Amino acid sequence: MLQMAHVTAGYNGKNVLHDISFDLPRGKSLSILGPNGCGKTTLIRAIAALIESEGDILLDGKDIRAMNRREIASKIAVMTQISSIYFPYTVYETVMLGRYMYTRSSFFGSPTKKDREIVERCLKTTDISDLRDKMIDTLSGGQLQRVLLARTLAQEPQLILLDEPTNHLDIRHQLELLDYLKEWSHTDHHAVIGVFHDINLAMRLSENMLFLTDGCIRGMGDAEKLIDSRFLQEVYGMDILGYMLDSYGYWKNFKTSCA
Amino acid sequence: MMNSTRLKFSLLALISIVVLLTASGTGSVAIPMEDSLRIFAHQAFGTVLPEGIDPIVVSIFWKIRLPRALAAFVEGGALAVSGAVMQSLLRNPLASSYTMGVSSGASLGAALMILTGFSIPFAGAFSLPLAGFVFGLATVFLAIAFSHQLDRSMQNNTIILVGMVISLFVNALLTLLTSLAGEHLQQLIFWQMGSFSATDWQELGVMTTVTLTGILLLMRYVQEMDIMTFGEEQALSAGVELKKVKFILMAAAALMTGTAVSFTGIIGFVDLIAPHAVRKLFGSSHRIVLPASALLGGALMTLADLTSRTILSPAELPVGAVTALIGAPFFAYIYFGKRKKGA
Repeated sequence: MLQMAHVTAGYNGKNVLHDISFDLPRGKSLSILGPNGCGKTTLIRAIAALIESEGDILLDGKDIRAMNRREIASKIAVMTQISSIYFPYTVYETVMLGRYMYTRSSFFGSPTKKDREIVERCLKTTDISDLRDKMIDTLSGGQLQRVLLARTLAQEPQLILLDEPTNHLDIRHQLELLDYLKEWSHTDHHAVIGVFHDINLAMRLSENMLFLTDGCIRGMGDAEKLIDSRFLQEVYGMDILGYMLDSYGYWKNFKTSCA
Repeated sequence: MMNSTRLKFSLLALISIVVLLTASGTGSVAIPMEDSLRIFAHQAFGTVLPEGIDPIVVSIFWKIRLPRALAAFVEGGALAVSGAVMQSLLRNPLASSYTMGVSSGASLGAALMILTGFSIPFAGAFSLPLAGFVFGLATVFLAIAFSHQLDRSMQNNTIILVGMVISLFVNALLTLLTSLAGEHLQQLIFWQMGSFSATDWQELGVMTTVTLTGILLLMRYVQEMDIMTFGEEQALSAGVELKKVKFILMAAAALMTGTAVSFTGIIGFVDLIAPHAVRKLFGSSHRIVLPASALLGGALMTLADLTSRTILSPAELPVGAVTALIGAPFFAYIYFGKRKKGA
């Protein structure tokens, strides 16, 4: 579905990503990890053609930079966080904005019956139907994240790109979101690419992982084959596995003492 | 449109008509509202004028008061809509053509035209607004380019400060021009104060044509404006052709502001207050924000003009001073209110 070959990208003439190549078939997800500043977000932006890049970025064989924005938006949706809301909309209005590339050609952008049906379905899927008339600046971080997911789904994309999607969510909602997206990618041959800091959450979306360091691919493949203690030490500069085993030991004892 | 929105919008339209009729009827010769309606019907649709209405009153209403009230209304509407557009473009409730320097730029262009007596070939009566548009657009591009150089993330405070710096600079150029104006000095000073007193039907026609065209064009981009308030990256990934849309929106806003300012001088703050109040009343969807801003901006400007010519009658205050007296504290209220909230 997505083919990247020798992609370089960056800002203001300075490359952040160097020679990135990988394929992502339909029905699969990919978790991107790496230390701060390694180029994870830049990679997401390059795939969505939000920044200029060189090399091949092909979606079903077609270069995304040869598509217009509406065509890209009908295939790729980017789910990022909203830093601040200056002008509040209702939940329903916000989700309807996900239909922009389909309603644009109609008179004054009026939604059709189909648009309204799809928005209703997305509200229901993300369990926010009862919030439809609420203003988004009155929602909790978790509720807002679900609104953004609903808007992303309303775009009916084939590929969803997530940039640290679970930041404002409590643990239950984090897991629900990732489980939902994993399921979504398996059905109808969609795909999801997510950027994560937390390896456990990344694993929840996909065991197919890509590690970046200094803008280059440090390793890619199935977590079980790719990750070992030395690999994580090299990527993050600390004993990640030791830290996780320590935490595990703590929680194991904690559970025992509570029982 | 939901029922409550429809009701509020109808009420706003009704208030606008009442404000227009009140402004047309108030002055040294008072004209009751029913007489205003009869005179209007007589002049516009050729109905019979009842006996007892003095022809002088008809002249005062039709030749002086109504064009003036309508000019104030159209200019208020144009400024408010362009303000709403600037706020959406820059994701900033404090952005407006006035604070971004578009008004100053436009007035510099218009002042140059007045001083030199130059007329754009084939543009005729549209020469002055065209100059206002070109200079206004140049100013806003300058402000945005400069902000972008200083701060790539285009933070609110940077944009506002740069807009103000450019505004001050352009105003200084305008003052310089005025001081060298010689025989045109008085004309320029009066014009800069902002007044609707000299508006005639022809000018009103030009203003109305440009304003309505601008609003209709902008209504085509209400969805884009909605999405752009979430940020440029969100807009791009939702499918908005950002560069093209931004240019069209800026050009339309500069055209409307440029036209308004070139006829009547700089009148600030209506473009800030009206869209802000409309968003509080109607929500943020630009499908309703634009037409409602036009009505509320129009009504506010007409009231400001009415106040300027009646409060110290027979003396007349510059309408720009009246709007600034209300607008400047309002600006401070939004700015400090936001800071308190930590935005």
